[in-house]
Amino acid sequence: MKSFRPFTVILVVGVVVVVAFGQQYAGSVFVLALCYGIVTAGMAVQIGFSQQIVFSQCVFMAFGAYGVAMLNTHLGMASLVATPVVMVAAGLVALLLGAVVTRASGLALAVATLMLPLIATGYISSAGYLGGSVGAPLTGNLWPGSSTQSIAIGNGLVTVVILGLVVLAASRILSSDVGLELYVLGVDEPTAAAMGVRTPRRRLELFVLGSVFAALGGAVYAGTQLFVPATLASPTAELALLMMLFVGGRRSVLGAVAGAVAIQYLSGASNWVSVNILIVEGVLLTAILLIDPDGLAGITRSLATRLRPRSAVAPPTPSVSSAPPALFTPSALPSPHEEDRVLLECDEVSKEYGGLTVLDDVTLTLPPRGLFGLCGPNGAGKSTLLGIIGGSVPAARGRILLDGEDVTRLPPQQRFGLGVSRTFQAVHLIGGRTVLDNVAVACLTSHRSGLVTRLFRSELAAARQRAAQTLDRLGMTALSGRDVSSLTLESQRMVELARAVAPGPRLLLLDEPASGLSDAERRRLGELLTELAGLTCVLLVEHDLDLVAQISQRIFVLAGGRLVFDGGPADFRTSPVVNSLLVGL
Amino acid sequence: MKFGQLVIAGLVTGSIYAVFAVCVSVWYRVSNILNLAVGDFAMLGALGVDDLVRVRNWPLPAAIAVTLVTVAAFGYLYDRVVLHLAQDGRRVHEGIVITFFFTFALSFFIDGVAKVLFGTDVHAAPALWSGRSLSLLSGLHVERAGLLVLACAVICGSMFWLYIRYTLGGKAMEASGENALGARIVGIDTRRYRRIIFTGTAVLAAVFGIIESPITGYTYLSGATISLTGFIAAAYGGFRQPGRALVAGLVIGVTEALLGGYVSAEYGDTVLYAILAALVLAWPRGLGFEAAVGG
Repeated sequence: MKSFRPFTVILVVGVVVVVAFGQQYAGSVFVLALCYGIVTAGMAVQIGFSQQIVFSQCVFMAFGAYGVAMLNTHLGMASLVATPVVMVAAGLVALLLGAVVTRASGLALAVATLMLPLIATGYISSAGYLGGSVGAPLTGNLWPGSSTQSIAIGNGLVTVVILGLVVLAASRILSSDVGLELYVLGVDEPTAAAMGVRTPRRRLELFVLGSVFAALGGAVYAGTQLFVPATLASPTAELALLMMLFVGGRRSVLGAVAGAVAIQYLSGASNWVSVNILIVEGVLLTAILLIDPDGLAGITRSLATRLRPRSAVAPPTPSVSSAPPALFTPSALPSPHEEDRVLLECDEVSKEYGGLTVLDDVTLTLPPRGLFGLCGPNGAGKSTLLGIIGGSVPAARGRILLDGEDVTRLPPQQRFGLGVSRTFQAVHLIGGRTVLDNVAVACLTSHRSGLVTRLFRSELAAARQRAAQTLDRLGMTALSGRDVSSLTLESQRMVELARAVAPGPRLLLLDEPASGLSDAERRRLGELLTELAGLTCVLLVEHDLDLVAQISQRIFVLAGGRLVFDGGPADFRTSPVVNSLLVGL
Repeated sequence: MKFGQLVIAGLVTGSIYAVFAVCVSVWYRVSNILNLAVGDFAMLGALGVDDLVRVRNWPLPAAIAVTLVTVAAFGYLYDRVVLHLAQDGRRVHEGIVITFFFTFALSFFIDGVAKVLFGTDVHAAPALWSGRSLSLLSGLHVERAGLLVLACAVICGSMFWLYIRYTLGGKAMEASGENALGARIVGIDTRRYRRIIFTGTAVLAAVFGIIESPITGYTYLSGATISLTGFIAAAYGGFRQPGRALVAGLVIGVTEALLGGYVSAEYGDTVLYAILAALVLAWPRGLGFEAAVGG
């Protein structure tokens, strides 16, 4: 299996190096590098892949190292036993700390966690029992061998196995369905939320995962180096870790490990280099980032792509079973006798942006099926209303009811779970992933599962299968292996539409899907929307009045935040209000 | 009495933070790059002048002039070579993260060079305005160097504000940061402004290093610490707003001094960092973090 490859690489290379050089200086440098590799593998998941920039790894590394040292020195616990104890403790601490810290995201998260090394360094240097500004020695080797020879080899092999397991776990998470969630979370958090990703929970899980791996790296560090320097928690140590991550390749687990090995090896390579290590690291990082922002891993990947014959790199397209009969099966198709039921109810919804009233007491109801147009001049509040229904914009007053249930306070990810799906006015696709994966994002079933449970059971294949069916039905199979960034704007809009349709929503919110499309494409879109309207409820924001009048069964017009028209297409064409507002008559 | 003395001491250290915060946020505003190497230029200025005066016996004015010209030349070259390759090339490196790590590498590089040139000991440039500390009203004392730093901080901050507010060049500069592509379309040479500001903030940082070093003393590794404090103060000013960064720097300095004086000399800094972290978490929008991320 592909996700086992990094594990095998680490195990084979690690065992060979440890057995061959274990008792020499090179071997000890290698083992030290692997300790850092355990930390950077976690960073690749958290910082590189999911783009949650935090500066707290060194603190948890120090936590792990000091934890093992204290348990070993004061309780006489063997390092190998103390390591899992410390990991559990680190997990609990990370959970508590993360619950506070990960309420922030982006730059706020980075700055808040930047304080942690500063606080930890201040604490350690004045805490006598930790050895103050010197550090803490310990005597318990990770591998309790009898001779120096068996200790060196044993320490090395245990470290290799631990690193191998860490890399296996990290790469399996990244290649699972949750991995796709994390990628979207990193690239575009609002889109992730609109596609059902429980962003606060994932951010917390990532923080705990990165912290536990860092603590594990620290524990192994203590067990193999037999000394915990006080500088382990300093901002400088964090910078060193980041240097390893970025040299190796921030988004690749194996790359991050390779970066740790490369930097550690360099600092011991020759006398000149170790004296001038700062210059060497500075030049190295600059050069690597200039060649490829994905570091050594990115450089290796592009070399491999260039060397391999073209046919071998063609992305695999999942096989599609015979064309499904309908575009999709709505998640909860209403039974016929409920046809006069109300699906969506906006009840006196209002919204202000800093004193400017954008929506003023808007009340409208939609049945479970049909196509409904929402028109109005620029700034009328159409997109805001869509945002309030979708949950990305909080309403100032009023209620949103979905199937009679009050969802006003629910975040977008939970409304997605209830069957609300949307497109955005400006295209929000996930660059760097294929069309297939972009659509599969909306078909994931992993939202309620924990990060770790997906180690053993990923349903990414099923999500891709469903995405492939939707693409097939929309006649877009040819595009499915392409990177979305390479598509034209109209193809991107279609991909976004496919993404919104794929999960089989009960309520589909479309924000100007026709803008930028040619006449022929508009016609095709119109036919598609009409077909959709027979299956589900579509609310369409559109400037093309002819299109709206042609395909909608009922049209709402907003002006200045108020609902000024609500009626069928025939009235819409003749209404003086509509004409004066939208046509300029 | 004690309070007044602490506030004065806090204002002096705060003005150091403020200056570097202004450098960080000015550069961010123009180029969308968070520059971690600002503090290293300060270190370069201080240790360069010290080396020329103390070791090579140059006269002070010549030493300052040569150091500043060297820093400017280095900044110019770095922009011309590395930033040019990174940002104007075939593949544009976008995103705050990657560009941030270019300056991160630059910081390592400068520190390494400084270690070779100046060694690892603590040094400082000669005081520009020597003499005993000045006595103010009611027996409060203030270091002359501190007064210089404070004065420079206020002058540079307000000059930049006036430049942005009232000149065409300032508005063009701001436009390059707001929307580089848009600015280029209307004929603004964004690369030129990036170069000017990069070189300018490098020289400014070096000047502050020279003025300030008699107070704290620098080693080749001091740059990171200076950048860090400047970076933090800039963060609390919302990164894009030099004026707020200046105030944030002063407030952080005064808080630090008061905590050190009244709470605990040992844990004062720890408490300060905890307060700063709590502020970000409690009030990210108000501090301008979300805007900084979005922009």
